Parts: sequence; structure tokens; C-alpha cells
Amino acid sequence: MTDAAPIANPTGKSGRSKPPAARQRRTLFWAVPLLLLPLPLFLDQYKQYVANLILVYVPVAVGFNIVIGNLGLLAFSNVAFFGIGAYASGVLALKLGWPWWTTILPAGLMGALAGCTASVPALRGVRLFYLAIMTLAFGELLRWVYIRWVPVTGGSFGMSVPQPSVLGWTLSTEGQKFYVFLVLAVLAVVLTDRILRSRFGRAFMAIKDNELAAAAMGIPTDRYILLAFAWSGFVVGIGGSMYAALVGHVTPVAFDLTELILEFAVVMVGGLGSLVGSVVGAAVITAAPEFFRGLPGAQELLFGVLIVLVILFLPRGLASLLARLHPIFVDRHYRD
Amino acid sequence: MLAVLPQLLVSGVATGMLYALIALSLTVGYRATTVVNFGHGDMVMAGAYAALVLVGWGLPYAPALLLALAGLFLLGAATQRALLQPILAGPHLSLAMMALAIGYAMRGAARMEWGSEVVTLPRPYEQDAFMLGTVVLTMDELVIAGVVLALLAALVVIINLTPVGRLIQAVFQSQRGAALVGLDVHSFHGAMWGAGAALGAAGGILLGLLVPLTPDIGVYTLIRGFAAMTLGGFGSPIGAVVGGVVLGVMEKLLGFYVSTVFIDITAYLVTILVLLIWPSGLFGRRAAVRV
Amino acid sequence: MASLLEISDVSVRFGGLVAVDGVSLAVGAGEICALIGPNGAGKTTLFNAVSGNAAISSGRILLKGEPIHGLAPHQISAKGVRRTFQNGGLFAGLTALENVLVGLHAKVGSGFLGLLAGARASERAESSSTEQARALLDLMEVGHIADELASDLSGGQQRIVEIVRAIATEPPLLLLDEPAVGLAPHMREQLVRIIRRLAAEQGVGILLIEHAIELVMAVADRVVVLNYGRKVADAPPEQVRADKAVLEAYLGHA
Repeated sequence: MTDAAPIANPTGKSGRSKPPAARQRRTLFWAVPLLLLPLPLFLDQYKQYVANLILVYVPVAVGFNIVIGNLGLLAFSNVAFFGIGAYASGVLALKLGWPWWTTILPAGLMGALAGCTASVPALRGVRLFYLAIMTLAFGELLRWVYIRWVPVTGGSFGMSVPQPSVLGWTLSTEGQKFYVFLVLAVLAVVLTDRILRSRFGRAFMAIKDNELAAAAMGIPTDRYILLAFAWSGFVVGIGGSMYAALVGHVTPVAFDLTELILEFAVVMVGGLGSLVGSVVGAAVITAAPEFFRGLPGAQELLFGVLIVLVILFLPRGLASLLARLHPIFVDRHYRD
Repeated sequence: MLAVLPQLLVSGVATGMLYALIALSLTVGYRATTVVNFGHGDMVMAGAYAALVLVGWGLPYAPALLLALAGLFLLGAATQRALLQPILAGPHLSLAMMALAIGYAMRGAARMEWGSEVVTLPRPYEQDAFMLGTVVLTMDELVIAGVVLALLAALVVIINLTPVGRLIQAVFQSQRGAALVGLDVHSFHGAMWGAGAALGAAGGILLGLLVPLTPDIGVYTLIRGFAAMTLGGFGSPIGAVVGGVVLGVMEKLLGFYVSTVFIDITAYLVTILVLLIWPSGLFGRRAAVRV
Repeated sequence: MASLLEISDVSVRFGGLVAVDGVSLAVGAGEICALIGPNGAGKTTLFNAVSGNAAISSGRILLKGEPIHGLAPHQISAKGVRRTFQNGGLFAGLTALENVLVGLHAKVGSGFLGLLAGARASERAESSSTEQARALLDLMEVGHIADELASDLSGGQQRIVEIVRAIATEPPLLLLDEPAVGLAPHMREQLVRIIRRLAAEQGVGILLIEHAIELVMAVADRVVVLNYGRKVADAPPEQVRADKAVLEAYLGHA
């Protein structure tokens, strides 16, 4: 035991904040939504709409972050999952007359199916930029399907989605939608947190760091890549369903490359691989464009510059700033 | 049905030359830095708009075009040196994202200036059409083919017969070798990224002859550039050119003989299927795709 | 009695290159077998063949008499072959503890749906595994760094944690690829002690690639020498040390 002493002294970087106990962190999951409950009292319909849009982007960012942040694969297919979810909800509600709330789960499942499809190149060993290009093509191909499959999707003009309802109650105001969305967004965060903190999440991160070593630890890497894409697609698909209910109109142009960059911005600015980051990014980035209405191009220019600055100067996003404020924001799931 | 074939081949090749130029311009930056420029389409777009502005100032066509290309060279080199070089050792995600973001910002700037105006690049020649037997050949197609062939010829000469070209070949062979012969690798990366942007800009200007300019034309070309690169074999300059021409012809043939829907989706399908089934493409190395 | 690991007449070819050429060797339970040879002799390739990272072109690899060649790396791992990597195979973004937990992956009994539903059984499985991982790190004298990120650990600490991770599931066979590279002398002593304890106390069969000859001599029961993909010697350490051919092929250049 004599040489225990020298190894007892790590490299001196002991200043890193330790992740808090799971229980302490979980207070965030109910405390934050609880604080948000009275929000509709203070917001007009338009501001409430923006708040709802932020809630839509919470699952969208959470799902995207799993693949690019936790699993570490350069897959650009998130917009595809988002679009599938929105169209699944829209078609079921409009063509089959299902009430909106019964379309949420099918939308998630369709998203999961799209996730499994998008994972095929990754499972066949395609990585890096090649994977990015392929998944980009996959998303564009789907957008083309939305445009061309007119009888189902309404083509370029899209489709109107009937007013959303839950258990027979019609959500006619933005404030009513807010509470339903809040529940869904919190569920997405809580469930994803459970996954990321379990052996499944550890397997994702192990694959990101070293695929060979992960396999050598008995992890069937293919199965976990598939699982990560499927869960990502599921959560993002639910985000798509919320989007359809919020906007009431689903069009192909909502799922183009611009949308991809917006979703990228949410994750990068919030914090790659961080759940806290997904939520914060959704809040910051979704609210921003509303300041640029009537100024075409200004939003793109601003986002472009913002992402450039974040990559250069804050590579771990706003989440890393929050983590310095209080350890409760320290997210286990990211690294330099 | 078969009577149309020569016409389809000719116009397919002409469009394909444009794709070839875009794919080649992407390949130049990629081979030098091993980073794929996801914002390259916006360099293409910026080239077309730069030409538009310069011609609008009353400059004669030839100097305007040369200035536009020079401007894009500088823009490409500057963004590479200032924004990409510092993170070159970082994760691929940051690199892809950085390139996307630069392009996105450029697109935003273009939209702020021109917004939804429909602008077109004036032709410096009379639009005309010629008959070659039964085949109609437009002046646009001739110009595109001529310019691309001239650029290719110039590149072949530069690469094979000049000291700069030999240097480029050396670096393409091995980055480490380049460092050994005392090359400033950073400047080289910037210069090649700039060269890619300038070549892309040439493609943008040619594209501007065919379609009205919008800030989004770059995205359209990027996907086709990727498809051509993939088909030809990722990273191979010859592959990029051949892939572009083949893609152009495929679009026309599938669009006519199978269904018009293929005109839009050939590029997507080619990208996905080639990478899945035949990752080495026509001239590539298989090892390059899978890690 | 069949050996724990039996490699018989195994060849590995990459294109025209024969990296491993008809090598046979056996490792018994509790035995420490060192694999030495000059760079490019095929040692790591042979390792990769055993762990499923390289396909063999001929021969057989048996674990407890059961063929394992042709299986995927994760399947071979699940059968009880664990390895470390030459250049360090820790997951840099995970803590030491989490690295060991990944090693325990298959033993953590939490199910996906159970986790989503917040089932007690799943949570209990996670927390009891965490305790187990902590205990393992303690046992191997590195408990105090459990919550450090792997990337913040010193090279020596990383090596030890990687070994802890590899043995977390108590595998019968352990492959160590140059575990002593870059280790300070006192860490080498700790490493030797750990390797000996694993073999003696837990009966782990250990196949070890190592360039540090004194470590090999100190720890190995048997030394196998490879050169140009072929086996040129297979004997106890003191005998190998005396072997002229080996000296010329390898030790002379060491």
C-alpha cells in the first residue's frame, strides 16, 4: 500500500464540480414546471404562443442531443423525425378524424420508425461527414415526399390540422395548450434523464468515446446505436405532434435545411450532450427569432454568427455557464 | 422514345458539367483539409451575387467575373483561416456546424440585401439555340460546357506542370510530407479552401445564367455536389467531374424514361444508395468512407 | 483437461500480408502467459483475433473447449474474454466509476422499459452496481479517484482503471495489451501486484503483451515469443532468457 500515496494525487484539477445526487437534481424536474404554472396569467396570446413553441423545441432538442451529443454521431436526420411526427399527427387528425391527443403516441412511434431507418447507414459503419451527408439526403428526400404525396400531405401548401383536443376538451387558447405541452416536455426530459443515467446512457457515451472498447465490454454497439436513434426519433416525433397542434398548419417548408440549422443552434448554444442545455437552448433560440419579424435574413445572419461564436468561445454551450453558477445544473452527460 | 435519347444525353451532359464543377470545388477544399464544407453552397450563391453586384456597378463582364472569383477566394481563405483552422483538431461535429453556420450567416446577409426580389444575372451574350441534327443545343449549355472545360484544362495544367501544382499533389498524397518540405500548412489550407470557394463561385455564376438568383440556390447545388462527389468516389477530383456528368445525365434519363419525379430526387437517391451499397464510388477508396 | 484458451494453428491475413502465421498456444486458468516480440511481430493482431476484432483466415480459437472465432467482439466479451487496449481504451468522457460500470454493463439488470416506468427493480439494479463498482476500485487501491473524469487521470491511473473495468465481471480470461507503457516505477510495482493477485486469488488466465522485459520476467509463468507472425519460442521466462535465437531475434534489440 506504500504507493497508494502518489496515485492519491490526481493531476490537480480537483476544482471540477461534482455532479449532484440524482435526487437533488430531480427537484428541478418538478420545481421548474411548478414555477411555470402561473405563466399563462401574465402572457398575451402571442407571447403564450412563443412560450408554447419553446416547449415544442424541448423534446426536439432533447432528442437531437441524444444522437449528436451523447452518442456522438454526425446525423442530420432530426428534422426528418420532426416532420414525420407533425405529419403523422396531422394526417391522423385531419384524414381519420382522431382527436389530437390520441395521435401523440402514434406520432412518436412514427418518429421512432424514422429513427430506426436513419440509423441504417450508421449500423452499416458509415460515420463522420459521410453519415452527415446521407442523413441530410434522407431528410430532404422525406421533404420531397411531403411535397409530392399530395392526397395525403396536401403538397406544397400543406394541410390544416383541426383544433387539438384532449380527452374531449378542445384546446382553444394558447394557455390551454401550454399545460398539455408542459406535461409532454417534462415527460420527455424526465424519461430521457432516466435513460441517460442508466446503463443505456452510459453505453451511448461509451460508444461515443471508443466504439471498440465499448464492444470489448460486451456492449452490442449496433443495438445501442439503433436504440439511441429510435428514442431520439420517438421524442422528436412527439415534438412534431406538438408543433402540428400549436401551429395548426403543417407545410413542407417547415422541415427544410433552415429548420435543421435552427435545431442545431438550439443544441449547440444550449450545450452539446447536456439535458439542461437542450432545455436552455430551446428557450433562448426559439424566443430569439420573434424579435426579427419583418426583417428577412436578420435571423439567419444572427444565428449563423451566434453559432460561430459559441463554437469558438463556449464549446459546451450555455449549460456550462449555468453549471458554474450552481452544481444542480451540472450535467453528467457532456465532456470537453 | 429512343429518338429523344441524343437530346437527353446532350442536355444531361451540359447540366452535369455544372454539377461537376460544384463537386470539384467541394473536393478541392475537402482534400486539402479533410473537412467537408457544409456551407459550400452558400459560397456558390455568394459568387453569383458578387458577379451581379459588380456587373451592376457597370464593370465589363470579364473583369467583373474575375473580381467576383478573387473576392470569393479571399472570403473562402479568410473564413477558413479565422474560423475553421482554430478548431481543425476538434470534433467533426464542430467543424460541420461551423461550416453550416458560416454559410447560414451568408445566406442571411444575402436575404437582408435582396430579400424576395427576383434578380437575374444578365447574359453577356445573346441567348440562342443551335440544331445539331435533331439535337437542340442552347447557347447557355454551350457556355457552361465551354467554361467548365476551360477551367478543367487550366486546372490540369496548373496541377501537373507548375511548382504550385506539384506542391498540391504532394499535400494531397500526404499531409505529413507537406509539413516536412517546409510548407506552411495553415496558409495552404486557407488557400485551397479559397480556391474551392472561387471554383464554386464560377459554378454559381454559370448557374445564374440558367435560373433566377435567390439566397437559397446554394442549398440546391450543395446536395447535387455531394451526390456527384459520392458517385465519383469521395475525395477524387476525377471522380467529382465524372460523377457530376453522370449525375446530370441520370437526372435527364430517369426523368424522361421513368418519371419526372426523378429530376428532383436522383441526387438524394444516388447519395444514399451509393454510400450504402458502393461506398467507394467510381474512383474512390473504400476505406475512406468507413471508420 | 482442456486449457482455458486454446489457440491452434491460427493465421491472420490482411490482403497479401500474413500478420499471424500458424500460431498455436494455450493459456490455463490462473496462468500468466506473456507474448513478446519485436514491433510488427503480430502480437496485437493475435490479441485482436482472440477478442474478435480481427478475422482469422485459418485455425481455431477455443475458450473452455468452445470455438469463439467468428463471433462479434461483444459476444466474445460476454463469454468471458476481456481486454485492455494498447493506447488506453478508457472512455475519456466518463468518470473512473462510470468506466467500471460500463465494464459491468451486462450485469446491471436494469431493463429499458422498467427504467422508463421508474421501476424500483431497475433503479435498485443501477445502484447496487454502482456500489459494486466502487468496491472494485477500492479493492484495486484506486477508490479515491472514482469520481474523476478518466481524461483527468494520470497515465498510470488510467491503466489501472482500465484493468479494473476489464475484470469487473470476473472474466476467466484477461488480455492485457502493453499495460506498463508509460508507467512510473512505483506504478509498475502496483501493476505487477495486481496482475499476480488476479491470477493467484481469482484464477484468471492472463495473456499479456509487454515490451518491458523485466516486468515480463517478474510476472509471467510462461513466455511466448513471436517474430514475423510466427512463434519462435514458448517456455518459462528463465529458459527464454537463455535462448540464443530469442536473444538475437528480439532481446538483443530491446
